[in-house]
Amino acid sequence: MFFQNLSLLEFLGLLSAVSGVVVALYLLDRSKRKITVATLRFWAVAQQIPEKRHRKRIQQPWSLILQLVGIALLLLAIAQVKWGSRATSLREHVLIVDASAWMGARGRHGTLIDEAKAAALAYIRSLPPSDRIMVVRAEAFPAPLTGMATSKKIAEDAVRSIQPGAAALDLAAALSFAQRTRSLGAGNSGEIVFAGAGRHSGGDSLPALGGATFRYLPVEEPEDNCGLRQVGLRRAAGASGLWEVLVAVRNYGRAPRTLTVAAQFGNAPVASRALVLNPGAEQTFTFPLSTRAAGWLEVRLLTRDAFPNDDRVVLEIPPDRPLRVVIYTREPGLLRPLFTADPRLAPQFLAPEAWTPNPNADVIVLDRFSPPSPPALPSIWLDPPASGAPVRSLRRVDNTALTRWRSEHPLGAGLHTEDVKLENTQVFAVAGGDIAVAETPQGAAIVARPTEPRLVAFGFQPLRSAMRYQLATPLLFANILRWLSPESLRLWEVDAGAAGSRALTLDSEVSPKDVRVVDEDGRPLPFSIQGRTLRFYSAGAGTVHVFTPSGEIVQSLTLPEVPDARFAPPKNARRGVPRSWPAAARSHDLWPYLAFLGALFLLLEWALYGQPLRSSWQAPARLIVLRNRLWRTPERKAS
Amino acid sequence: MAVSRSEPLIDRVFLEKLERLTIRWQRSFPGIVGGHNRSRFPGPGQEFLDHRHFHHGDDLRAVNWRAYLRLEKLFLKMFQVEPRVPVRLLLDASRSMDLGQYNKFRYARQIAAAVSYVGLVRLDTIHIHPFSTVLEEAHVCSGGRHRFARTAEFLGRLQAHGETDFYGVARQFAANSPQRGLLIVISDFLDQGDCERPLQYLADSGHELLLIHVWSEEDRVPPWTGELELSDAETGDRLELAFDDDARAAYTEAFDAWARRLQELAARKDGRYVGLCTSMPVEEAVFGPLIRARGVE
Repeated sequence: MFFQNLSLLEFLGLLSAVSGVVVALYLLDRSKRKITVATLRFWAVAQQIPEKRHRKRIQQPWSLILQLVGIALLLLAIAQVKWGSRATSLREHVLIVDASAWMGARGRHGTLIDEAKAAALAYIRSLPPSDRIMVVRAEAFPAPLTGMATSKKIAEDAVRSIQPGAAALDLAAALSFAQRTRSLGAGNSGEIVFAGAGRHSGGDSLPALGGATFRYLPVEEPEDNCGLRQVGLRRAAGASGLWEVLVAVRNYGRAPRTLTVAAQFGNAPVASRALVLNPGAEQTFTFPLSTRAAGWLEVRLLTRDAFPNDDRVVLEIPPDRPLRVVIYTREPGLLRPLFTADPRLAPQFLAPEAWTPNPNADVIVLDRFSPPSPPALPSIWLDPPASGAPVRSLRRVDNTALTRWRSEHPLGAGLHTEDVKLENTQVFAVAGGDIAVAETPQGAAIVARPTEPRLVAFGFQPLRSAMRYQLATPLLFANILRWLSPESLRLWEVDAGAAGSRALTLDSEVSPKDVRVVDEDGRPLPFSIQGRTLRFYSAGAGTVHVFTPSGEIVQSLTLPEVPDARFAPPKNARRGVPRSWPAAARSHDLWPYLAFLGALFLLLEWALYGQPLRSSWQAPARLIVLRNRLWRTPERKAS
Repeated sequence: MAVSRSEPLIDRVFLEKLERLTIRWQRSFPGIVGGHNRSRFPGPGQEFLDHRHFHHGDDLRAVNWRAYLRLEKLFLKMFQVEPRVPVRLLLDASRSMDLGQYNKFRYARQIAAAVSYVGLVRLDTIHIHPFSTVLEEAHVCSGGRHRFARTAEFLGRLQAHGETDFYGVARQFAANSPQRGLLIVISDFLDQGDCERPLQYLADSGHELLLIHVWSEEDRVPPWTGELELSDAETGDRLELAFDDDARAAYTEAFDAWARRLQELAARKDGRYVGLCTSMPVEEAVFGPLIRARGVE
């Protein structure tokens, strides 16, 4: 005999506690109670009987015994006491079904997941009715689909509902989960069953499996498969509208393969490569893509293999719109080399007479010119007239030098000058919130104002001063333009990968508060940053955007991952669906009878000693009342 | 049993059953014939009493012809005749009555209502005196069954209060009601003093006693066991004792002995005694013990 739900100690402890409470309540119930009666006349007669002062004595032992026996029987029912041996009569199995992306590959009889589900269903049907089973869907994380139950229909329905996911199999996590589940269960003679191909991403760090309790339902893998391992896309440096596309292809089969990789953008072929891949080999190649328009880049393997899901990748290319800069100057030739050097800029030079406060531009440059109305766009003011300067000009100073750059701010990042003499410059008053980008001993010569619309004011014309020969000048303007219009000059990087746990290497260390990771619906995803490595997890296929201060990384998680590691079951592991099970010791569920008996005892106690009068001490009175009603005793006596 | 205060004491069906009953007394009361009381009985008399529908065989001289000319229906005029024996009902309204799983006071009022209705049907005049410490002002019910609503309302308004003082009540009753007649006492007879002597005094002064003893189950067989702290509902006196089956048997024996003494007192004085437990339905009590004791017939 054994308890299915409780250990013997737990049962005894529970029974002792409940019994103690019942006895205590029983004795307390017999404490002195206050009653209002019609007269004390006849009680005086009753008082002549020697008074009993044994309040703590049990006066209706049968009431207490009935209560205790009833409670004990109910506890036994809750504990699910059974005849037989626990080890042989209670088997609990954990069935792990591989639902990784690779299970979507075509096998001999449909897809691999179909074969795994068929094997799992056959295993469930082979189980004796008393065995309990839990179904676990294993992908990047193990997910139990059912509780540990004897219902085979629930388990079969759960198995039928399993579909391959987008991530790789973490078999170590699934097996650890199964072992923990079995250790928490009541039975100890069940099995951990794994049904699937067993390609996993966990390396060799699998938990030790007891062969006697592990069963493997193998699925035969296809031999021929080539697939895209990686497709990446990033802007080419130094050219606008030019992208570099990186493609990695791997041969997972056991025979050499010759195949063609084709790329299309907007249904127009843009690249094609013929590759020869040895078994297990991986080749990487790049090709340029020139476009300013947004669209979809499709990379496809022109081959036919067992796993078509990794033969095609589609990436979204964002529009490559240059930064429009309108420059109001009387000397366009002076500024043209500065603004035409970067292909990401689209400058337009206009005379000051053509001023409009809201031109079709992203940034305005005002060269020694003060407009009649303030601009509505981010602006750069070069040596403005003191009367119309956006930042209050203190005075003009001659023959001074730039002595300090605000290098800790993005505007001054990376800037350094030495012995730069300024023949003449204005010195600005730095108001609260303003940023002094560059300073002379007499005051700030370059001031930035971060309130919208942003602006930067130079106290001098940099290309008419000694700054024109400094390397810091184009860097300073690059910093200013990126600060004024950060969206326009954002770096773009698009990668295709598999769903699940992802790790990205950033260009530099950034603070987590400057980073956002969102899915395609804009919902934030949890992430962590360690050094330059950013990690996040995506449960399903889709697009994830990672925003950093320097740019945006787009992860198109549509490429299924096919891990290299293959599961090798222990040598003494059982394989296949069992034809028969060892006869389990027959056990009988006693709890319905125990529950019925317990309820019967409590009901009997209640009927004899219980309510609606106050408690169990009224059984004799209840019997007398019943007798009086039936035979009219008092009336007979009195009349 | 919890009963709403707004619930009528007696339902209509029970009232209809009561119409065939009559309050009965055994003794003759010499000296009261001659119109000393206000009881009215239809018959050949001088003073107009009421109208009723004409039936075949009625005296045509008593037909109200004016009414016939106006309504084209025959109505018979009834006249008041000789007086009847006075019926007085003492209803215990002390706090001890307001106890019990089945409330004794409500039960007593239901019995009183039933007896009153029986008297009204027979055109008796009944004086209902609630009492506890003192005898309260009487409610006079007379004039036929259609006057029962007032009586029911009066009984429904009564509240239990005060201690029982049979001696004072008997003396007050004897002083206020010298005319002898039938005296119905509905009570639990739980007086701090001795209720037998006052009752005996009333019987000796010429009244015929009908003692309706009302008790609840726990009055006779206390259901409690163990350590008890008892409080008297009327006086507030307290008593602590241990109560068990032996004590319960002694208690019941004492109660029964006391009830027997009341019964013997009634029998000794040519009266009657009816013991009613509140667990017995009122209808069953009227048509059972009360008829067997010849209180009504």
